[in-house]
Formats: sequence, C-alpha cells, structure tokens
Amino acid sequence: MRILRVDMESLQVQWEPVSEAYEYLGGRALIAKLLLDEIPATCDALGPHNKLIFTPGLLGGAGVTTAGRLSIGAKSPLTGGVKEANAGGTAGDTLAKFGIKAIVVENQPKNENFYILRVTHNAADFFDANHLRGLGTYATSEKLQKQYGEDYTVISIGQAGEYLLSGAGIACTGEKDQKSNHAARGGLGAVMGSKGLKAIIVDKAKAGALSFADADLFRTASKRFAGEIIENPKLGPKGGTHLYGTSAITGAVNEMGSLPTRNFSLGSFEGSISLRGEHLRETILERNGQIGKRCMPGCVIACRNSYVDEAGEPIVGTVQFETIALVGSNLGLENLDDVARLNYMCNDFGLDTIETGAALGVAIEAGLAEFGDFESISALLRQIGEGTVLGRLIGSGAVVTGRVLGIRRIPAVLGQAMPGYDPRSLKGNGVTYATSPQGADHTAGNAFGARNQVNPLGVEGQKELSLNLQIVAAMLDCTGLCLFARPPIIADAQLMVDMVNGIYGWDLTQEDLDRLYRDVLRNEIEFNRRAGITALDYRIPEYMREEPLPPHNTVFDVPESELDTIFEAL
Amino acid sequence: MMALDVELFGQLADGSLRRQSLTLETPLPVSEVVALLGVNPEEVGLITIDGVQSSMEDEVPLTCRLCFFPPMSGG
Repeated sequence: MRILRVDMESLQVQWEPVSEAYEYLGGRALIAKLLLDEIPATCDALGPHNKLIFTPGLLGGAGVTTAGRLSIGAKSPLTGGVKEANAGGTAGDTLAKFGIKAIVVENQPKNENFYILRVTHNAADFFDANHLRGLGTYATSEKLQKQYGEDYTVISIGQAGEYLLSGAGIACTGEKDQKSNHAARGGLGAVMGSKGLKAIIVDKAKAGALSFADADLFRTASKRFAGEIIENPKLGPKGGTHLYGTSAITGAVNEMGSLPTRNFSLGSFEGSISLRGEHLRETILERNGQIGKRCMPGCVIACRNSYVDEAGEPIVGTVQFETIALVGSNLGLENLDDVARLNYMCNDFGLDTIETGAALGVAIEAGLAEFGDFESISALLRQIGEGTVLGRLIGSGAVVTGRVLGIRRIPAVLGQAMPGYDPRSLKGNGVTYATSPQGADHTAGNAFGARNQVNPLGVEGQKELSLNLQIVAAMLDCTGLCLFARPPIIADAQLMVDMVNGIYGWDLTQEDLDRLYRDVLRNEIEFNRRAGITALDYRIPEYMREEPLPPHNTVFDVPESELDTIFEAL
Repeated sequence: MMALDVELFGQLADGSLRRQSLTLETPLPVSEVVALLGVNPEEVGLITIDGVQSSMEDEVPLTCRLCFFPPMSGG
C-alpha cells in the first residue's frame, strides 16, 4: 500500500511506500500515530503545520459488511486536541481498493484560492475550485459529479468549512444519488478549508478488487461476521436499527431521562412521541419515502432513511437520532419535518448537527430565538451559510456561542458539544465525555448499549465500563467498522484476527490487536498532553454537577478522582 | 381507580396496542404483567418503571408508567 502526500503550497503530490511503523495501522490508529509523529502538537489547527488525513480502516475495500468507513483526522480547531471522525459513503472502500493507506494533506496555498484534488488508482492532480466557492455540499457534489462523472465519489466542504468555522464537518457521497454522509465532528471541515481544499474527487470506477493473502481464512471469518449481524435481534432485518434507524432509541433515551431538551435543561421532552423512530418510520412510509437504506456498499444493517415531505419530495437523507436530539428536542422542536429541514441546512452548509444544535440551544437561551419556533431557529441557522457575524459565531460551536453571549450553561467538554445523551442520567457516557481524548463524543464509548451491565443512574462501575467501551470504539474506528457492528467481534475477538490476517497475510494474535487498539488511546492521550491539554480541560461543566436534571433529578457525580485515573488500567 | 400507563415500543407493539391503561388489584412482578400483555419476554430488551431501568423480577406498583422496549443499540 502507499501513502499519498498532498502539498497544498506547491500543489504537488508524492506517493510514498508505507513505512514499517504504519504497516499495521489504519483509520483512527493511523491518524493518531501520524499526528503524534508529524505534527507539532501545539501548532495552530488552522495553520500550515496541521495535517488533514483521510484513511480507510484495515478492513476497507475487502467487502466486509459495514466496514467501509472513511476516517478523517487532524488536530481539531474545536478541542485543540486529536480528532478523528468517520463517515460512510464510497470513499473508504475505494481508497483501500486503490491501495491507498492514507491521503495526507499538508501546508496551505500561498494565495486565497480553493482547489479540487482528483485521485484515481494511479495518479492525483489539482483543479481550480473557485467556481465552487460559496456553494453548499449538495451543489458542490452535484456539479462535480456532473462534470467528472457519476462514478466519482466527492468529499467536500460547504460554506462553514470555507469560513473556517469550528462546527464544520466534511461531506462524503455514497452509492447512487446519496450526498450526505458526514465526518461531522471536531471542526475537520475548517481544517480542510484552511488547506484551500474545497473537494477531493475519487474515481471509484477505477477501483479493482483486493487480492487476499489467505482468501479462505478471510472469507470464512467475514461470512460468519455478516451472518451474526443478520441474526442479531438489534441489527438484522427484524431489528430496530434496520426498521427505525438510529432513531429506534429516541423513546428509550427520553424515557430514561437522558434526552437533551431545551439546551440540556431537561432529560425528557413532552413532544418526544412525534420524534420517535416509530413515528419517523410511519411518516416516511406513508409519504413513499424510504427506510432501510445503506450508507456503505454491502451493509446488511441498512439504518439510513430518505425523509420526504407530504408531497413525497425528498427533504433530507438521512434523519438520525443525534440530529433528532440536538436540533429537535434540544431546541424544543417536535415536528420531524422541521428537524429534517434543519438537518438539510446543516448538511448543505457542511455543519455538524450535534455542535450546531447545541450552539443553537445556547443561542436560544440567550434570547436570540425561541424554543419550539422553527422560523426563528432556521433564521439563525441560515445566517451561518450567509456568513454573517452572528452566523459565524454560532457556526463556531457551543462554547464560543456561550462565551460571547454570556451563557454559562454550555453542554460541552474539551470544547466540543455533547451528543444526544445527557450525562446526568447516563453517567457512563459522562465518563466517556470527560475522559476521551476526542472530547464529548458518544462514538468514543457509548454506554447506552451497556445499560444492563451498569446502572445508568449510578456511579459504581462507570469508570471501568467507559474504559472498555473506549477500547472497543478504537477497534471499530481503526478497522473501518460501523459502531453498530461490534457485537460479533466482542463475542469472539478471533473473528477480527482472522479477517485481518486473511487480507494481509499477517500473523497477528488477539493480544496483538488488543495492544493496537489500546495504542490508539495511548497515542491520542500523548498528543493531547503535548498540546497542553490537562485534566481540567476534560471536566464536565460545573452546572451539570450541581443542577439536578429532571425527571430523575440527578447530577453527574462520578468523582473527579475516578475520571483522572481511568487510563491507569489501559 | 389507580391504573398503570403501559407502553410498548418498536416491534413489540406489532399486532397489539402501543399504549394502554391497565388496572392491577395487587402489585405484580414485571414478568406477570408481560404475560398479561401477551408479550414474548425474550423479545424485551429494556424495561422501565417511571423511567428507571427495571428487571422482570421487579414489582410493578399499582400506579406507574411501565414501558417495554425491544433490544436496542446506541448509535
């Protein structure tokens, strides 16, 4: 495999062989190691010394179900630390089939121009992108696919990335007309904008098939892996994740008192019935929209939907739980059509719906709009795309918005907004928010699925639970697996060993892979330490330790001493 | 008369009422309420009583909100 180095200052590319140090790494593991090795941790995240890395996971391109995710990483302008976010779509698989272990984007243009990077199986070159300036991600990908061909995968930023806003993410196209898979978190879209890179286009028609070092070993393991997902009562064709998408959990999170409501002031939303997965499914099917779509080729879970209006016209694909929580209940909105429209605007501007929803909640608390009022909320959101001063403020995330507007209740850790689980009533997630080197991020270790192991409202066992979940999350993120796909690997770690060894001809053991997963966290923790991040930066906001959250009237009370020692067992 | 507010979520409600009011003469374990409702206990992934996670062995008060969910993953 090769690494493609892209120099945005000279507009030159260089192909280099993968050194021994990176041979066994992919996705988040490779990002963590490259950041540690090559980036001054104290550098300006939007300056020339930061690097933006695109990398498939170790299983990418091999046809393993749910394993085609593309990891994108850099030093985060939002947290000041390490950041990896990943997305579905077709880029991850295609890069792996090209034999590209990573694209590393370095330096910055000497001028104010924006560029397109085209990547094929054996070449990479640049095009001027100034005609795309000011366009959202939908129009950008449509224009590029019209110009270069429908077979091109487009990775792009919208206006938010061009404005270098810390709430900006990166959009990736998928199969057929799918435009909106987002590596949303941590402001990576701003890093892409700072590199003068409007889009990367990848010629997936040129992707051949991988050759396997031990095809029998691989196929036996990958077939069993897919079979176990299909048989899983949560994930298979009769499972809630397929039938209702990620929004299957909306009712449960609300019932458990953890659903962010009106800027995280309540854990249960009186209008949640119309935000539930059950209602979403019924609405979409009544209107001839689509349920059970996939975001990656070959995914057997298929949790995406295509949300349509009353006339059957598409509003957005897809409406997911986190968006429902952050731009729905968190903003007091109970109409899924409203949520879908805000979702579309965020996608188009190239914004993280979690960060933006949290920032809007803070702005509403400051009196700039009204909870439950779609018109005033959408007017605020629209300003981000327009690039007004207020829009740029909100697009910079919840912390900046709160500080400028004088709001003390900011639901964020390490500068990053919390996702759709209030940590006061799902305390395992609170531990993850308060310790993960990624900041407040449910994908770094989500305790919702472990509610039967550890009481979500209790303190005992949360530290150990979160650490285990963070290691599992590292496994998913460095192999390119969707986070829903963890059950078969947790049940039998040898499955992953056999798939990886079968692809590459390695002789790794379960212990080797476990060390690799743990090294992801070790490298990230070290990067953040070098960046000057201390334990104080990871703290859960003080108000969440002091102000009880209805309906359970609990606070986040896991002792700081527990949080500060979580990685001693790593 | 005191009553339970019972709700079945997701696939558990297929072919039955999603939400109903149920009156018990004496407190019962969750497992017996599940039998009364005709729900297959193996298809239940989460039980909450007034929003608090509960088990099949827990006693259901005469007045409460009782919810049953299918197996779910957070995403």
